[in-house]
Amino acid sequence: MNVTPSLFWLTVFFLIPLGVMFYYSFGERGAFGEVLLGAEHLGLQQYRLFVVPSDASVLQAIWWTIAWIVDGLVPIELGLAAGEPTPYVQLTIKSIAYGLLSTAVSLAIGYPTAYYIGHVAPSRYQSVLLVLVILPFWASYLVRVYAIQILLARNSILTNALGILPFYETGQSLMNTQFAVIVGLTYIWIPFMILPVYASIEQIDFTLQEAAMDLGADRFEAFRRVIFPLSMPGVIAGSILVFIPTTGAYVIPELLGGTRSQMIGNFIANQFGSAGNWPLGAAASFVLMGVMLAAIGIYQRYGDGDLA
Amino acid sequence: MSLADGPSFSKRVRRVRSRLFEYASVALAFQALLVYLFLYVPIVVVIALSFNDSRHAVVWQGFTTEWYEALLAGETVARINPDAAFQSLLYSLEIAVVTVLVSAVFGTMLAFALDRYDFPGKGLFIGLVYMPIIIPSIVMGISLLLFFNIVGMSLGIQTAMIAHIAFGISFVAVVVAARLQSFDRTLEEAAMDLGANELETFRYVTFPVIKPGVVAGSLLAFAMSFDDFVVTFFVIGRENTLPIFFFSMVRQGISPGVNVIASLILIATLLLVGLAQWIEGPVW
Repeated sequence: MNVTPSLFWLTVFFLIPLGVMFYYSFGERGAFGEVLLGAEHLGLQQYRLFVVPSDASVLQAIWWTIAWIVDGLVPIELGLAAGEPTPYVQLTIKSIAYGLLSTAVSLAIGYPTAYYIGHVAPSRYQSVLLVLVILPFWASYLVRVYAIQILLARNSILTNALGILPFYETGQSLMNTQFAVIVGLTYIWIPFMILPVYASIEQIDFTLQEAAMDLGADRFEAFRRVIFPLSMPGVIAGSILVFIPTTGAYVIPELLGGTRSQMIGNFIANQFGSAGNWPLGAAASFVLMGVMLAAIGIYQRYGDGDLA
Repeated sequence: MSLADGPSFSKRVRRVRSRLFEYASVALAFQALLVYLFLYVPIVVVIALSFNDSRHAVVWQGFTTEWYEALLAGETVARINPDAAFQSLLYSLEIAVVTVLVSAVFGTMLAFALDRYDFPGKGLFIGLVYMPIIIPSIVMGISLLLFFNIVGMSLGIQTAMIAHIAFGISFVAVVVAARLQSFDRTLEEAAMDLGANELETFRYVTFPVIKPGVVAGSLLAFAMSFDDFVVTFFVIGRENTLPIFFFSMVRQGISPGVNVIASLILIATLLLVGLAQWIEGPVW
C-alpha cells in the first residue's frame, strides 16, 4: 500500500502551514499591520510580549503569574506580588480554567451516568442508553450551541423556571456570562466523558466489590478504594478528551460568552482579524498548542498512553 | 461531640453512609435521567420553538407551521433568505462529498501502511496522523489561511475541500486502522495460496472484512466536513457553507427563521445517522 498521497497531503496542507505559522510567530508587526519577517526582525519578541510584562524581568513574570493564580484560588486577598502577569497570560490561564472547570463538571455529572449505564441499568437497555448519549454528538454542533443560547436567553422556559429560586429574578438572561460558556462547553463535550468512563466501568469485575465488602469495607469504601481506581483509565481518557477541545474552544465563547468571557481561541482569531497583529496571534496559537502538548504528555505519563 | 466519642461517631457515620448507599441505584437512575434531559431538552426546545406563533420571543405563544411554509415556499422569513440557505447547503454537500471520496481512499491506504509496515520514525508518523484530529481547529484553520495566502491560492470552496481532506484522511485512517488490528492476516495468505493475486486478494478477502471500518470512517469524515465551522470559516473566503450561513444568522439573533433552519439541520443529520445505522449497524 502506498502512503505517498496521504503523506503528501498531510505534509503540504497540514505540516507546512503549521511551520509557516510557527515562522510567523517570530516575526514582527509593521506600522501598518503588515508582517515583517526579515532577519533583523526575527526573534522571540512576541513570546516575550505574551509572557513578560513590559516593566518586569522573566523571574518576576513567573513569580507574578504564580502569585496571580494563588490569589485567584484563595478567597482572601493576599497581595503576594507587586505586579500582575500580562493580560495574555491571564487570558491563557482563564482558558485553561474554563477547560478544567468544564472537564470537572463533565466528570461530576458524567461519571454517575456512565456508572449507571455500565453497571446498574438492566443489560438489555445498555446499548440503547449508550446510543442516546452518542446521538447528540452526531447532531450539528452549531445548532446545539444555538439550542443552549435559546435556553439561556431572556424569558426562555429555563430562565422563567429558575424564577422559583429566591435569589434569581424571573426571566433574567443567563447569556454572555462565564456560566453560559461552561454550560455550553459541558453540553457539547460530555458524551466524550461518558463513553470512555462507561468503557472502563463495563470491564470491571464487580465480584471485587463483593470481596471488598466481605473483607469489611462498606459500600462507600468499596467504591472509593476498589471500583473507582479500576475506572481510572476511563476517567483520565475522558478528561483529556474533554479538556483539549474545551480549552481551545472558539465558537462557544463567541456565541455564548460575550466580550468578557472570551477565551484564547477568540484572541487568536481577533489577532488575525480586526486587531491585525498576525505574529502575536501566531505566538498565541503556539502557546495554546503548548498547553495541549503538556496535557497529552501528562496523559501519556499517567494514562494508558494511547489516545484512541 | 467530644473526642472520646470519636470511634463510635465514625461508626455511626459508616452506618448512615451504608444505609444511604442502599438507595444508590435509585439515585443513580434519577441522576442519569437528569443528564439525558440535559442532553435532549435544548434540542427539543429548538424544534418546538420553530412551530412557535411569535415573531421574536422565545416564549411559547401557540402552534403554527407558518414559518416552515414560508421558507419552503421561498419567502424570506425574519432575515433568512431561503436561496442563500439552499446555496450554502449545496456547497456544504459538494465539499463533504469530495472530502469523503478523497479521504476514504487516501485514509484507507494510510491505515494499511500504519498497520502493516514498520519503518524508522513510525511513532512520529502516527503522531502526524493524529494531529489534525487533536489540534485546535482554530490553529488548523488559521495556519491554512496563512499558507494559502503565501502560495497565492484564491480562497473558495476548493481551498475548503483541501482543508477538509486534511482532517478527513486522519479520521478515516484512525477508524480503519482500528478495524485492521483485529484482522486475521492468515485469510490473505490462504487466498494467495489458493492462487489469487494481490488485487484479487484485496478485492475479495481484505476489503469485505474492513468495509465496515471504511464506511464508518467515511461517515465520520462526512459528518465532520458537513458540520465543520471553524476551519472552513477561515479558508473559504466569501462563499458560505451551511454552518457558516447559520452562524451569521445566529449572530443576528434568535428568530423564527433561524429556528426553522436549525430544526431542519437537526432532523436531516439525525435521519442521516439513523440511515447509516440501519444500513451498516452501529458505526461509532
